[in-house]
Amino acid sequence: MSLRTEGLSLGYDRRSVIEGLDLEVPEGQMTAILGPNGCGKSTLLKALARLIQPVAGRVLLDGTDVHRTNTRMLARRMAILPQAPVAPEGISVGDLVRRGRTPWRGALSPWREADAQACASALEAVGLGELEERPLNELSGGQRQRAWIALVLAQTTPLLLLDEPTTFLDLVHQIEVLGLLRRRNRETGLTVVSVLHDLNLAARYSDQLVLLGREGLVAVGAPADVLVPEHLKTAFGLSAQVVPDPVTGTPMVIPL
Amino acid sequence: MRGLLLVVLLLGATLAALLLGQVSMPFSMLWEGLTTGQGPGAMVIGNIRGPRVLTGLGAGAVLGLSGALFQTVLRNPLAAPDVMGFTSGAGLAIIAAIAFGFSAPMPLVAAAGGAVAALLVAGLSWRPGHATPPLTLILVGLGIGFLCSAFSTFLMTLLPHAEAVEAQRWLTGSLAARNWTHAAQVWGLGLVLVIAALAQVRVLSALELGEELAAGLGIGVERVRWTLAATGVLLAAAGVAVAGPVPFVALMSGPLGQRITGARSLAGRLLSAAGAGALVLVLADLAARGAVPGLQLPAGVTTGILGAPYLLWRLSREMERGGL
Repeated sequence: MSLRTEGLSLGYDRRSVIEGLDLEVPEGQMTAILGPNGCGKSTLLKALARLIQPVAGRVLLDGTDVHRTNTRMLARRMAILPQAPVAPEGISVGDLVRRGRTPWRGALSPWREADAQACASALEAVGLGELEERPLNELSGGQRQRAWIALVLAQTTPLLLLDEPTTFLDLVHQIEVLGLLRRRNRETGLTVVSVLHDLNLAARYSDQLVLLGREGLVAVGAPADVLVPEHLKTAFGLSAQVVPDPVTGTPMVIPL
Repeated sequence: MRGLLLVVLLLGATLAALLLGQVSMPFSMLWEGLTTGQGPGAMVIGNIRGPRVLTGLGAGAVLGLSGALFQTVLRNPLAAPDVMGFTSGAGLAIIAAIAFGFSAPMPLVAAAGGAVAALLVAGLSWRPGHATPPLTLILVGLGIGFLCSAFSTFLMTLLPHAEAVEAQRWLTGSLAARNWTHAAQVWGLGLVLVIAALAQVRVLSALELGEELAAGLGIGVERVRWTLAATGVLLAAAGVAVAGPVPFVALMSGPLGQRITGARSLAGRLLSAAGAGALVLVLADLAARGAVPGLQLPAGVTTGILGAPYLLWRLSREMERGGL
């Protein structure tokens, strides 16, 4: 399952945000897209997920342009969780997660064993097995976000894209979410690409970082190679010192 | 099973609508009519209230389902074919057909009018390269609705007096003088369209999670939206063709149905909306024809009196939630 972009240019309202980007998402790894607000992180993620048309260039999944692939077949290989999704009123956790099976079911096909298994496994992976029957709006913010993640996990795709999955969560729940994605990644080889804000958490939980600035791509690579003072200056205009994280040894950004 | 509650309410309302009115009759008389096919009870069922009530049930159901479909597709409780001007468009088409002596089956005329109104709303709210917020559709729809009503009023002035009075009554939304053909028509079309709507439940349940997630789940969002909108417009047109553009039934039925049955699943909510629509229209008609002695008001008067405050309440809730 290889995902890459070729000369990808993106923009909206005649404003170009990304130009001529060649990017390779490493298979079976955790990739985080970082950058200041308005640099086009989410736009890039949406383009990878075929939700927006590029101005130029292509997004290739296993060598085929995503805009030339049947959208339902694509949904069996690639899942996307948009930023801050809104659920229908009164929906239960189980009902929400079951909708993740949409690409695998025809209009009339019955609920199969594989569907049930995928949902059970997804709920277990996010630790909500016990809360399946509960209405989503009775859950805490962290639990709710995990329910949404269970929805895209139930889609059983080898590739998962997430737009700011931790943005409205407190630190504990951010770690919980990133931890469960990481576990899933290590256990099943799931390729994960997410847009994140917290540089230090991104460094901890990612194998590859993609750092964008206002002028486009700044750096791509392992966290230690990307999070260096020069790049932070270019991307954010931030003067910072980078030291090894005392717990994990990954780079830790300390603003000056 | 609270779905049963809705069924019981519907049966009760049907019975009340058959028994009560300007002239009420005892149950024994109705029973005698039903079982023997003789006497005043049979007359009432066969000629007067029977077709009227059956038409009302059918028209209310299709309007209610149409409202729930639009509310789900656009994810906004204010979205309904009556608020967005589709039923007014259908009504205008019928009045125009009558005024210009154009004879075609009423459901077709109504569907054409509703579709033109819907296309106008979609076209006027469209900005290239931008997603249309549901609220824009609703507000533009309100405008189109007023425009259609104004044209209908104008066309009425072209009609001879007696016909104009009839047209006025019909435009308010009325079940007066309905016969078995009307009932058969709305039930026949209604059943086909209900099946069409239920066949789209899976797609709709993905769309209900938002455009982007639906697209990620492999739904061709644009195409599916058009199919669902077409189903909704046809449902509304089937109702308007036999009962006129009754206001607010479509708007109220979704939330009311869910309140009654407590249905969680999408199919359950859609069917509850259809049931609630039938309930509202039949009871509104019963109240309208019994309210003033010696005068049969059109059902639309009652749904208007009930619906307008509901709309205001909805608007105030949306404002509180910051949706407006």
